[in-house]
Formats: sequence, structure tokens, C-alpha cells
Amino acid sequence: MGTYRLTIRLLCWATMFCFAVLAQVAKPRNPLGNGIEVVSQGHDLYNKSCTACHGRDGTQGDRAPALGAARRYFRLSDAAIFYAIKNGIPGSAMPASGLPDDDIWRVVAYIRNIRSTASDNDVPGNVQNGMEIYQGKGKCASCHMIRGQGGLIGPDLSSIGAQLTLAQLRDALTKAIPPQEGYIPVEVTSRAGQVIKGVAKNEDPFSIDLLDLSGKLHLFTKEELRSVVHQPESLMPHNLDKTLSPTEFQDLIAMLSRQARTKIRREQQGENEVGR
Amino acid sequence: MTRAFGFFLCFVATSAAQIGEKELRQPLSDNWYEYNGTYDSRRHSELKQVNTGNVRSLVPSWIFHVPNASRLQSVPVVANGIMYVTQENEIYALDARTGRQIWDYHRVPAYQRAPNRGVAIWGDKVYFTTTDNYLVALNAVTGNVIWESKFAEYKDGYCSPAAPLIVKGKVIVGVAFGDRGLNGILDALDATTGEILWTLHTIPRPGEPGNETWSGDSWKAAGGDTWLTGSYDPELNLLYWPIGNPSPDFNGDVRKGDNLYSDSVVALDLDTGKMKWYFQFTPHDTMDWDAAEIPMLIDAVYDGKPRKLLAHADRNGFYYLLDRETGKFLHGAPIVKKLNWASGLTPEGRPIRIPGMEPSLKGTKICPNSFGATNWISPTYNPETEYVYFVAEEGCGVASKNTEAFRPGGFQYRATGDVPAPDERTRVFVRAIDMKTGALKWEQERAAAHNFGGGLLSTAGGLIFSADFEGQFSAMDARTGRILWHFNTGQKLSAGPMTYSMNGKQYVALSAGSDVISFSLFDNK
Repeated sequence: MGTYRLTIRLLCWATMFCFAVLAQVAKPRNPLGNGIEVVSQGHDLYNKSCTACHGRDGTQGDRAPALGAARRYFRLSDAAIFYAIKNGIPGSAMPASGLPDDDIWRVVAYIRNIRSTASDNDVPGNVQNGMEIYQGKGKCASCHMIRGQGGLIGPDLSSIGAQLTLAQLRDALTKAIPPQEGYIPVEVTSRAGQVIKGVAKNEDPFSIDLLDLSGKLHLFTKEELRSVVHQPESLMPHNLDKTLSPTEFQDLIAMLSRQARTKIRREQQGENEVGR
Repeated sequence: MTRAFGFFLCFVATSAAQIGEKELRQPLSDNWYEYNGTYDSRRHSELKQVNTGNVRSLVPSWIFHVPNASRLQSVPVVANGIMYVTQENEIYALDARTGRQIWDYHRVPAYQRAPNRGVAIWGDKVYFTTTDNYLVALNAVTGNVIWESKFAEYKDGYCSPAAPLIVKGKVIVGVAFGDRGLNGILDALDATTGEILWTLHTIPRPGEPGNETWSGDSWKAAGGDTWLTGSYDPELNLLYWPIGNPSPDFNGDVRKGDNLYSDSVVALDLDTGKMKWYFQFTPHDTMDWDAAEIPMLIDAVYDGKPRKLLAHADRNGFYYLLDRETGKFLHGAPIVKKLNWASGLTPEGRPIRIPGMEPSLKGTKICPNSFGATNWISPTYNPETEYVYFVAEEGCGVASKNTEAFRPGGFQYRATGDVPAPDERTRVFVRAIDMKTGALKWEQERAAAHNFGGGLLSTAGGLIFSADFEGQFSAMDARTGRILWHFNTGQKLSAGPMTYSMNGKQYVALSAGSDVISFSLFDNK
């Protein structure tokens, strides 16, 4: 009995050692790459083969989730997505696809593409002209900063291309999006009747710190204020597709997509790992 | 109506208000603009709302938790109503009245692990250094990164834990780790552009004065790092920077000579970086006794005439008083009872070594131990008592050496070390000594503490604030050392306390383990 236990224990250690060694082996990357053609082929394959459950173009389907939505995914690396398509996901409705390996890699390229940030794509457009639009006609620089130049009232855009997907970047310029924390427009009135407009850098039930439109920071306790009125809409204009020509708009998008000073470390958030 | 008017007066409007030479030269009062408080590094505040008569009513006003922190070493900096606290590669900007976060900055990717001791302020920006040796300039109100400038190579093993010092638009930054054989540099960068204006090599290269104090090629992997913030005299336009230990720490056989400018304080012209004078506390150190302890600049009558003085309690067990115009040694005295490696100081201030008292192959009992009689923990000076206050450790070590060789890439190069002497119990004290004579005036033990803990703060309220390693934050009578107030923070304390005032209310704050805590007098209105 003692020998049996010892054998089991040794087997356990050996198995753990093997896993530890395997974990060090580099995971396979997509052998076809992620070029436009591969992504396009993957897109067609995806819409033909996957849409019985998933929605078209990465949207939500009747029986399976959206693969392109802004959410945290359990399978992030090329290898993990490939494995799921090839073998299915045990314990779920996801079946093995039966596609040839190269076609699976094409679908992998497409899924990675719809999840990528704007800076991962070679967005067409005249970047230099886009910067001129940003600083001039678009009036972006009066509120936003890129690499130390520009205004303070809006978010710093030095890494915006690595933070948003291309679709999110377009939406930010064209759709009314609720203001994010730190940029919520507020109008406060002091006890003495002074009215100050700006964005709330901090607010809790007892205090509010307000950056006014001239870039001055005001630190209040709520006792010092007669009223605090929040504006539902962001200060960000969302009609740039109308105020700019299509070419100007595309140039602006191209320039913004290339702002990636600090690439977000996706690895730190679990990229190239299977499951969490 | 009166009440409403009072409210109106209360709120704080700040902005990208420019902080310049004028602000930084003010005595320490409402703001705390840099690591050591002011250029003279005395950490003595003029604030006295909290004083010996009412300190018993001191209570926490707010607590800010720094995510993922454990042993914060950052001294909070307060300017224009905003408090800036750091840990490695991160800054948190807080409303100094409420502790609420206004912005934060996280550097990604963040290389290496090392502490960070705080920010500096200039113009409308805050500055700090990263573990991969970038000086980062951020907008003080929003945290937007304006520029970043690299001044040392992290792949060689360098990092930069010290808070920068900014004078006249020059940002002075240093490096660690001397214990890895990495030669120290001190850089001045342009606060507007990030351009490196001058560099001091703390270990002289061939052809430079002092290189002859290193035998053979030993100057090449020699340490002498600049891991703590120095001081500045605006009238003399001189920086005073403390320099770290030589490498390998414990084996002096491979680096015969005095090993300049390790374990020294150097006086540098701010504009050029040229050295005006130096004073070496421990020539040919073999006990890791960095001279990084902060030099305090004091103006007082000495020997019948007004003198510009520099006071420094050193890790080697002696207190030094220097003339900071010339570097001349004026006076010295032991600061610990357990001191067996030197019998005293010569008239020039050089230690008189006792033969054989150095690390050996078998081990030699040496007092103080390698942690030193004091260390990087901030001292303070009260101009009313004319006492210098510092944290002292009475302890001995059994020190040994070996023949470990230097390996490039940031590996330890200490050639062994010391262990606590088995027949001695290490004890930690807050001590007050007479600034001119070094005579002990009072001491207060940090009972049960086996580590230095945090630094000291002096206020015009007649108080010395002290942060001990075991978590007790206490206030003592500056004249007697009697403990008048204490608060158990429940965390290990390593940083120095500071004080500031907003809307007529004085706060005392410190980084405690993983939190920043700000205290003020209890107000039952």
C-alpha cells in the first residue's frame, strides 16, 4: 500500500513537472499571419461557418455570444482561439468546427482583427493632414493633449490608438457617448452665488474637485456649495463626420489610430493565456 | 449670513499656478514642495496650530489607500491644495483636504522593483523618476504626461528611487544601486525640455582628480551611488549631495585607497556641476556605510561669528559639523555608544581607525553594524532648541568578506556582509543632540523596533513627529523628548512625516505602509 501511494505521489510530481515544462514552450502563432487578405478570407469563412450560432460580423447570435464586443474574453491568444474552433469547448454548445486547419487560422485572424485596437490596423489616410485637422478645423487640441501639446479639459490622446478599437474611435467622434469618470460636466454654484462650469475630477457625497474650462482646478467640500448640477452629455462634440469632409474625417481617424505612446500591456491582462 | 460668507471664503481654487524659485525658497509653512521640505533639508515647519498644548487632540482626517502598496517610502508633496504621493512607477494626486483622488499615473511597462520616494514640483508640472530611469514630467493638475527623458540604463541594473530636487529649472536626479558595482552619476536635466545639462561621475574616471584613490582598475565597478535627495544653498549656488558606499561593499582588498567620492558629501556648482569641495566621512569603507544621510544646512553663530554650516549624522557612527562654504571640518562627535572601529576623529575629521576592525574571512565584530548608526531616514533640525534630531541604531554585526567578482548586468557585488552579533541586542532610538557640540540632549527608544522605521519632522509647535517601524506614529516634546501623543497606524512605517496647512487648518501626514494618513486637530463644530 505504501509503495502504491509513493508511486501515485511520484506520478503526480512527474505530471506537474511536465505541465511546468510545457508551460514554458512557446504557443503556436498564426502561420498565415494577419494580413488584410487573410482577415478578409477569415471574415467570409466566419460569416458562412459560424453564424448558425454567433451573429454575423462578430455580433451576438441566437445561440452564442458576440466575439467582437468590448468585453473580457477567456480565449485571447491565437493558439487558444484555434484550439476552441478545432476541438470545440467542452461543457458548452460550441462544437468542433470540422474546418481544415488553414481555414481555422483564417477565422482566427478575423476574430483577432475585430478585437484589435485601432493602432493594430494600418488605417488608411493622410496622417500629417489628420494632425492639421486635429489642431485646426477639428478644434480637438483646445481640449485634448497629444505628447505634451494641447488642452487639459479632455482625456490625453497620446495612447488613444492603443486604447480603443477602430470602431470605438469612430464612435467617439460621431456618437453621443456618456462622459467617462473624470470628465463628467458639472455646474456648481457656491454659497455666495458664484457659478463655475467644468468637469468633475473627483466627486463623492461630501466633496467635489472641478477642473473649470480655463484649466483651473477648484477643490470644494459640498458644504461650500449651494448646488451641484450634472450635465448628462459629454463636452465632446459628436458630429465630426458632418463638420469635416469624408477625407478630412478619415485623415483624422488615421492620425488618432497611430497615437500609441504607451502600448497597453495586454499580456498583463491575460493575453496569450487560456482561461482565467 | 456670516456662516454662508465663511463657506464662500473656504473653498480652494488652484490651477496650473506656477511654482518657482520664490516659492521653493520660502520657509516651510502651508505647502511642502519637495522631499526634504525645503532646500536646506531641515524638515522644520513654521506651522504651530498643532502644538505641545493640544497635540493630544490630533485625529485622522482621512486615509488614502495606495493600491498594491506595502512599504511606502514616499514623502507626500503638497502644492496648491494637491498632495502627490508615489510608489514605484505610480503617482497619486489627492485633494489634500479630503484625500480624494484627482488623478493617477501608472507607467506601463514598469521595469524592475525598487521603492520610490516622491515627486518634485516646478512651474505647472510634477516630476518623478521611474525604475527604468526616466524622468517624467506631468501636468500637475491633470497628470497628462508632457515629456519623459531617459538618464540611465536599467538593463545595466540602475534604477532611480530618490525624489528629484529642482532648482532654477534644473531637475537633479540620481541613481542606485551601489551594492551592484554600478558607478554613480548625478544628472541635471532641463525642467522644460528634459535635456541632460551636466553629469557628475561620482567615481572619478582616469585623468580626473580622485581616480588615484582606487587601486588598479577597481574604479570601474565601484558604486558611489546617489540614491537620496540632496540639499541646496541659494546664496552660494551650491548643491550638497550625499554619495553612497564603494563596491564591493565588504572586501576592501581589491580597491586599496580612500575610494573617492564614496561615502562623501560633495558641493557642486548648480550651473556647471563642477565640484567646489568634498568631504569624505569614511575613507576606504568596508561596512556599506553610505553617506546618503541627508545633509542639513544651518546658519548659526559658531566660534563667535555667523557661519554657514552643514550638519550630518553619518552611518559610520559620528556626527559632523562642516563649514559649507569651504568644506572645512569644524567639529565631530560619536552618536552611538557601540562604536569600536575608530577611536575618534583627527582635527581634519578623518576617522582614527583601530587596526583589525574590518571584515575578515572568519568574521569580525564591528559596531555599528552595516545598517549603520543611522541611515537614510530623514533627520530634522529645530532652530529654537538648536538640536539636531535623528534616528539612531545601537547594534553590532559580525562582518566577513570573500573574493566575489563583479558581474555586469546588475548583480549584487557586496563580497559578503554581516550578521547581527549574537551577544548584542539591536536597539533603535530617536536622539536629540546639540547642533554645535553633538552632545546628547535626550533620547527616546523606539521600543521593540528592530529596524530604523520612518523619519522625523520638527514643527514650530514645539513638536518632533516620529514614525517607528512597528507602526506607532508619535509626537514628542522637542525640548525633552517626552511623548505627548501617539497613534497606532497598524502598518510598518518607513517614510518621513510632513505637515501642511489648508484654509487655516494644519495637517500632519505620512505614508504608512500601504496608506497615506492625514491628521488634524479634532473639530467638533
